[in-house]
Amino acid sequence: MLQYVNVSIDGAVLRATKGSSVLDTALEYGICIPHLCHVSYLSDIGACRLCIVEHVQNGRSRVTASCTLNVEEGMVVLTHTDKLRKLRHNLAELLVTQAPNSRAIQDIALRCGVKQVRYPFRNANCVLCGRCVRVCTEVWRARAIGFVGRGKDRHVEYVLGVKPDFCKQCGNCVQICPMTITPCDGPMKPGKEHLCSQCESQLMIADQNPGSCVWCKLGESFACGRYA
Amino acid sequence: MYRLNSVRELEHLRRRLCEERQNITTTIMACGGTGCQASQSRALIAAIRHELSQQGLEGKVRLRATGCHGFCEQGPIVIIEPGNVFYCHVAPDDAFEIVSQTVARGKVIERLLYTDPVSGAKARTESDIPFYQRQDRQVLSLNRLVDPCSIEDYIAAGGYSALVSVLDRVAPEEVVKDIKASGLRGRGGGGFPTGRKWTECREAPGDEKYVICNADEGDPGAYMDRCVLEGNPHLVLEGMMIGAWAVGARKGYIYVRNEYPLAVKHSRIAVEQMRELGLLGNNILGTSFSFDVAVARGGGAFVCGESTALMASLEGKVGEPRPKDVHTVVDGLYHKPTVLNNVETWANVPAIIRNGSAWFASKGTKGSKGTKILALTGRIKNTGLVEVVMGTPIRTVVFDIGGGAVNGNPIKAVQIGGPSGGCLPVSKFDLPVDFDMLREVGSMVGSGGMVVMDEGSCMVDVAKYFLAFLQDESCGKCLPCRLGIDRMLEIITDITEGRGTLKQLDLLEELGETVAETALCGLGKTAPNPVLSTLRYFRSEYEAHIKDKKCPAGVCKALITYSIDLDKCNGCGVCLRGCVHGAITGKKKEAHIIDAQLCQKCGICRSECKFDAIRVV
Amino acid sequence: MAIKTLEQILEGRRSQPHQLIEVLQDVQENYGYISEEAMKAAAEGLGVPLMEVYRVASFYKAFKLKPCGKNNLILCMGTACHVRGARLLSEQAVGQFGVKPGEVTPDGLFSIEHVNCLGACALGPIVRENGSYHHHMTPGKLRKLIESLRRQGTEEIQHVQTQ
Repeated sequence: MLQYVNVSIDGAVLRATKGSSVLDTALEYGICIPHLCHVSYLSDIGACRLCIVEHVQNGRSRVTASCTLNVEEGMVVLTHTDKLRKLRHNLAELLVTQAPNSRAIQDIALRCGVKQVRYPFRNANCVLCGRCVRVCTEVWRARAIGFVGRGKDRHVEYVLGVKPDFCKQCGNCVQICPMTITPCDGPMKPGKEHLCSQCESQLMIADQNPGSCVWCKLGESFACGRYA
Repeated sequence: MYRLNSVRELEHLRRRLCEERQNITTTIMACGGTGCQASQSRALIAAIRHELSQQGLEGKVRLRATGCHGFCEQGPIVIIEPGNVFYCHVAPDDAFEIVSQTVARGKVIERLLYTDPVSGAKARTESDIPFYQRQDRQVLSLNRLVDPCSIEDYIAAGGYSALVSVLDRVAPEEVVKDIKASGLRGRGGGGFPTGRKWTECREAPGDEKYVICNADEGDPGAYMDRCVLEGNPHLVLEGMMIGAWAVGARKGYIYVRNEYPLAVKHSRIAVEQMRELGLLGNNILGTSFSFDVAVARGGGAFVCGESTALMASLEGKVGEPRPKDVHTVVDGLYHKPTVLNNVETWANVPAIIRNGSAWFASKGTKGSKGTKILALTGRIKNTGLVEVVMGTPIRTVVFDIGGGAVNGNPIKAVQIGGPSGGCLPVSKFDLPVDFDMLREVGSMVGSGGMVVMDEGSCMVDVAKYFLAFLQDESCGKCLPCRLGIDRMLEIITDITEGRGTLKQLDLLEELGETVAETALCGLGKTAPNPVLSTLRYFRSEYEAHIKDKKCPAGVCKALITYSIDLDKCNGCGVCLRGCVHGAITGKKKEAHIIDAQLCQKCGICRSECKFDAIRVV
Repeated sequence: MAIKTLEQILEGRRSQPHQLIEVLQDVQENYGYISEEAMKAAAEGLGVPLMEVYRVASFYKAFKLKPCGKNNLILCMGTACHVRGARLLSEQAVGQFGVKPGEVTPDGLFSIEHVNCLGACALGPIVRENGSYHHHMTPGKLRKLIESLRRQGTEEIQHVQTQ
C-alpha cells in the first residue's frame, strides 16, 4: 500500500509518495529541475549537484541535492530562486568547460543559463556522472565497469583494467552516456572556442518558463524522469 | 591478572595497586611518543633501564614510558618525581648521569634543564617553564601518569571510576543531560554540541546502536589526537563506554588513520587488556552493561575524517561521503543510529562525569566551554601540543606560549583549523580561541591545528598549498569539489606564475562561494576557506602578484630570481655541490654564479649556504 | 619476519565484506603491493565483487597496485613541514634519483612517496624510511641518508654475490 505525504514545492502543495525523492516528485508534477546524473530507474548518488533546491526548515534554507532528499510531511522546498539559478549556472559552467563536446552537455549548460564561459575549455570525454557504472551494476548486475581512483584521478574502468569476459557488450553503458548520446563537433574547433548554441537548445524556452517542464528534446534523449 | 566480576573487585584492585605503588617513591617518566621516537627516545628509555639495573636500582625506581608531554621542540623529555624535575633534549648517553645523580642522589643536572632562549634562565620544574605556565592541561597532563600499555597504571590513577559511577547507578538519560549541561562541543572540527548529538541518538528508534571514535586526524599540522590516543588510550575508551551507556550502544569502533601505527598498536593493546580484565564483553563488572570495541585502520584518505566516509570505510567500502539530509545519529554505520565523536571529545567525558558538568562549564566562554588542545607549529620558537582554556586569545597562544617569532622574522598570520580553516592576520590575534567567534571572521577552531607563518610565507602560496592538498584528497564524486577546486587551483596557479588578472580574483571568490554552497560533504564545503580567508585579509599580496608580477615573500618561483651576492660569497662551493640542477658554476675561492636559465628556484642552495650569500628577489 | 600467505590473511575473515580494508592492509604489509592475485583471492574469500575490491584498492593511498622500491622514502608534506621547507626535500630526492614520486628507480632500490601528514609536526620536516623517523631534515641530511642507504644496498648485493 502506497503512503503519501504533502510537500510544498515552489509554493504548490503536492501529494508525494513516501520514500520518493523531491526530484522524482517535482518531475512527476512537471516541475523541471535540471539534472545530469539522475536516471529514473537507477539509484541516485547526488554527484552532479545540478538538481539542487533550497530546503526551508526552521526559518533557514539549506541548499541540498533534490535527488537524495526524501519527501517528508510538511516539507517546504524552493526550486528556482535567484540563488539557485546562480549556483546552477556556475556548476553548469564548470561542467561544460570540462567536457563541451556533447550536445547533451551543452544543452544542459544552456538550460542552466550559461551563454559565455569564464574558464578555458578542456576536452574531457567523461563527466563522471556514473550512469554507465550504475546501469551495469544495478540493471545488468555485471559489474564489468566501475569507478576507480580518487579525486582528479577518478575515472571509469573495466574491472582490473581489462574488458572481462562477463561483459556481454550489451551496449547499455554507451546508450545511457551523455557524451555518446549526442556527440557534437562543438566548440573545440581552433578559433571557435565558444558555445555555438546551434543545436536545439533550451535557451529560449527556459528563459520564459523557468520552472516548467516543456517536454524538451534534451529530456527525451536523456532519459529524463518525465519521459520514464 | 584475573577477571573482575564486580565493581567492588575493581575498587579492590585499585586500592591494591595504589598501595603497591606507594612503596616506590621515585618515578622516571620518559616520553615514548612518535615525536620523541623520531629523536631516539626508544634508545634513551632502553639506556635508562640499563642504568637502573647496572646501578642496582631496578625494582626500587619506577621507569615509565609515557605518551607525549607536549613540548615536542625540546624532546626527548624526561621528568623525574619527586621534585618534578624537567629535563630536555635528553640523549641516551645522559642516562648514566640521570640515574646516578638525579635519581640516586637528588642532584639536578643543570645542562639538561630548560633554558629560556632570551634570559638564559634555567627552569627546574615544568611549572617554571613559560611554555606551560599559560596552559590548563586537563587532558594532556594525564599522560605523565600512565604507561599507555599498562591498564594497571590507568586504574591506579583513578581510571574507570567515572564509568562505574554511572553503570546501573545513573540513568542513561541523566548522563546525556549532564553532558548537555556541560556545554561540551565536538573537538574534531565541527564543534557540534555533544549533548545534542547524544540526545538525538538516544531518541532514534532501534536497538542496535554504535559509538565511534574518529581518530582519522587528517589535518596536516595537527597531532593532538595521536598523542591522546597513543599516550592514554584508556581515557578515550572510558569516555566511549560512558557514551555507549548513555545512548544505548553495545558496540564501538576506534578508527585510526593508517599513518599512526603506534596509536593503532596502543589502542589494540588497551582493548586486549580490558577484555582480559573483564571490562569488555557481556554484563561488565556484573552490571547490565554489555559492550565491545574494535580498532580499525584507515587506508590513507583525509576524506575518511568525514563521518559518513569514515563509516563507509568501516564497512569495507571506499570512503565516499554520502548526503547527510538524514543525520548519522539516526542513520549511520550499517544504517543504524551512531554517535561519532573525536578522540579529544571522548577524552573529556570522564572528567565531566567525575567533576560534574558545572565544573566543565565554569571554564571557557559563553559558547565554548572547557579546554582545547592545540597543535602549535610553524615559524615560532616553542612548537608542540598546548592545552588552553577556551577563550584564550590567539595572541597569548602564539606569543606567551609559543614564544613568538623564530629567527627574528615578524609573524604574519596563523592558519587555524587545517585545510578547512582560514588564515588570520596579526591584527586579529586578540580574538579568542572560540568556536563561534572564529567562524564569524572566516576561520575556525577546527581540530586545533595552529600553523604560524612569518614574512617568509606567501599567503597566495599557502592558499595554493591547501587547494592542492584538498584536490589530492577529494574523493572526486561530486562536481563542485572535483572541478571547482581544480579551477580554483588553475586560477591561483596563474596568479603565482604571473598570468593573473584582477577579474580572476572576483571569479575566485564567486567560484569559492559556489563550491561552499553546493558541495556534497564537509571537505568540499570548507575547501574554499583558505582561499576566501587569504583573499579577505591578504588581498594586497594577491594584487602584488597580479599587478606588479612580484611575490613579496619571495616564494613563488616564477616571480623570483636567485642570485649570489658577490660580496658575501667566498667560493666555498657548498651550493655548487648541493645544486641538483647543475645551475651553479664557479672556481674554488672565487665568487660563484647561478645560471638563471637552469635555476629551478628549489632553494636548496639558499638553505645550505652558511654565509647568507644567496639572494632572492 | 615470515610473510603470511593469502590463506592466512583471509583466515577468520571469510565471508565478511567489511573486513576488506583490513585484508588489503595485511596484503600491503606482507607483499609491498596489492597484486591481481591478491585482489581475486580477497574478492572470493570475503564475498565482495571483484570490481569493488579493485575500486577500494585504487581509492586508498595506503594500497599500491605496483611494487615500490626497496627503500621507500616517505616525505611528509603536511602544513607544518611545508612551511619548514618540505618541498626542498622532495626536489632533492627527485633530483638525486631521477624519478618522480610514485615511481621506482631502475635498480629497484628507491622510490619516493608523499604523505599528507605523519603527525610529528613539531619536528618537521620529517622523512620516514623503513619504519624509522628522521626529523628536522634538510636537503643536505637527506642526501647523506640516501647515500648511506645506497651503500647498504650495494653492500648487500656484494655480500650475496660473494656467497
